[in-house]
Amino acid sequence: MASPTDRSSPPREESLAEELGREVLSVAAQAGGMTVLALRLLRRLFPPRVDGPELLRNLHKMGVRSLPIVGVTALFTGAIMVIQAGVLIRRYGADGLLGWGAGFAILREVGPILIALMFSGRVGANTTAELGTMTVTEQIDALSTLAIDPLSYLVLPRVLAMVAMLFILTIYGDALALVGAAFTGQGLLGIGARTFFNGLVEMVKAWDLINGLIKSVGFGVIIAVASTYYGLSVTGGAPGVGRAVNAGVVASATGIFITDYFSTYILR
Amino acid sequence: MSDDAEPEDRPRPPPGALAGLGLGALGLLRAGVELQGVARRTVYWSIRGRRARGVVLRQCLEVGNRSVFFVSVTMGFIGMILVFQSGLQLLRAVPDLQMMGATFLEALVRDLAASLTALMLATRVGAGIAAEIGSMVVTEQVDALRMSGVDPVNHLVVPRFLASLVMTGVLIVWAGAVSFFAGCATAYFMFGVAPRTFLNPMLVDGGDLLTGLTKCLAYGAAIPVVSGWCGLSTFGGSEGVGWATTRAVVNSSLAVIILNFFISGASFLVFPP
Repeated sequence: MASPTDRSSPPREESLAEELGREVLSVAAQAGGMTVLALRLLRRLFPPRVDGPELLRNLHKMGVRSLPIVGVTALFTGAIMVIQAGVLIRRYGADGLLGWGAGFAILREVGPILIALMFSGRVGANTTAELGTMTVTEQIDALSTLAIDPLSYLVLPRVLAMVAMLFILTIYGDALALVGAAFTGQGLLGIGARTFFNGLVEMVKAWDLINGLIKSVGFGVIIAVASTYYGLSVTGGAPGVGRAVNAGVVASATGIFITDYFSTYILR
Repeated sequence: MSDDAEPEDRPRPPPGALAGLGLGALGLLRAGVELQGVARRTVYWSIRGRRARGVVLRQCLEVGNRSVFFVSVTMGFIGMILVFQSGLQLLRAVPDLQMMGATFLEALVRDLAASLTALMLATRVGAGIAAEIGSMVVTEQVDALRMSGVDPVNHLVVPRFLASLVMTGVLIVWAGAVSFFAGCATAYFMFGVAPRTFLNPMLVDGGDLLTGLTKCLAYGAAIPVVSGWCGLSTFGGSEGVGWATTRAVVNSSLAVIILNFFISGASFLVFPP
C-alpha cells in the first residue's frame, strides 16, 4: 500500500498487534519489577534492617502532615454518602436505615478507598517525586558507593511508614466521615444524629469496620510498592520525574481497585 | 488546599499555634487568589483567544484516548465491586433483587459514573498536565513564552481545558457504560439476575440526567484549571516538578470531591425525591 512517494515520510506506523504487544510487555515488566522490589524489601524485614530515625521522620511526615487533607476528604465523603443514600431513604420512608446505609458504605468501601486514593495522591506521589529526584541526581548511586543499602536506608522506612500510616489514617478518616454523615443527615434530611448512630450501631457489625481496615493495609502495601518502584526507576531529568509520578499514581489507583475487588470476594 | 510545595526537610523556626494557623490561612487565601486568576484567564482566553489548528485535538487525544484503558479497567472493577457488595447487603434486608439494576443505574447516572471517573481522571490527567507544564516551567520554556508576549495560560492551559471539557464528558459516559455492564455480568453470575431484569432504566429521570451532566461539565472544567495552576506555580528543579504533580493530584481530587458535595446537595434540594 505504501506508494513510492511515501518513502520520505517518517517511520511507518506500527500495526495494532505490535502496539498491543509492546503495551503488554511493558505492563508485565512493570508488574514484575514491582514484585521483585516487594520481595527484596520483604527479605530485609527478616531480620528487620530498617533505619530507625528515617522511619520516624517518615511516619511524622506521612501521617501527621496528611491529617488535614484526609480530614477534609472524609468529612465531604460522609456528607456525599448521606446525600446519595438520602434519595433512597426518602423514597422508602425508612429513616432508621440511614445509619446502616451510609455507615456500611463508608466503613466497608468508600472510606478506605477514598482515603487510599487521597493518600496515594499526597504521600505516594510525594515519595515517587522524592526518590525520583534522588535517582536522577545520582544520590542513590552515591549511597550504594558508600556501601549503604538504599533499600534499607531509604525505601523500607518509607514503605513501612506508608502502610502503618494509611491504616491509622483510615481509622481517623472513618470516624470523621461518620461525623460528616451525621451532620448532613441532620441538616439536609432532618434525621437526628441519635437515629443515625442507633441505626449504625444496630445494623453494622464490627466485622464491617475490621474488613475496611484489613483492606486499608492491602492498599497501603500497593501504594508503597508502586510509588517507590516508579521513584527508583526514573530516567531523564525533571520531565522524567513528572512522568514517573504520573505513572506511579495511575498504577496505585489501578492496584487499589483490583485489590479491593479481590478482597471483597475473599473477605465477605 | 494543601501546601506540599515546600521542601519538608528545611529547618525553620517552629511557629506558635496561632502563627501557624495564620500562616495556613494566608497560604490558603493566596492559593485561592492565584487559582481564581488562572480560572478567569482560562475562561477569557477560551472565548477570546485563537489557537493553531489541531492543538485542541491533540490534547483530546492526550486527555481522552490515552485514558480510555485506565478508566475502563478501574470503572469495570468498581461496577463489579458495587453490585457484589450491594447484592450481599440487599439479600440481608429484602429477598428479591428485582430493583437492583434500576437502583444501580440511577446511582451511576446521578453520581457514581461522573464522580469516580473524575477522580480517576484527576489522578491521570491532572498529574499529566502538571508534570508537563511543570517541566516547561523549570526548563524556562514558560518564561520564554511570556517574553514573546504570549500568556502561558492561553498557550498551555486553554487547549487542555477545552479538550478536557469535551473528553471528560465522553469518558464519563463510556466509563459509566463499562461499569454498568460489568455490574450486569456480576449480577448474572453471582446472583442469577437476568440481564433483561437488570437493564431497567425505570428510576432514571430528568433530574438525575441533569445532575450527572452538570457534574461532567464541572469536573471537566475543574481538573485542567486546578492542575494547570499547580503546574504553572512550579519552582525548583526536578524536585519542584514532583511536588507540583503531587499537588495537582491532591488538589484536583479534592476539587472533585468538594464540587460533588455541592452539586449533589443542590440537586437534592432542587429535585427532591
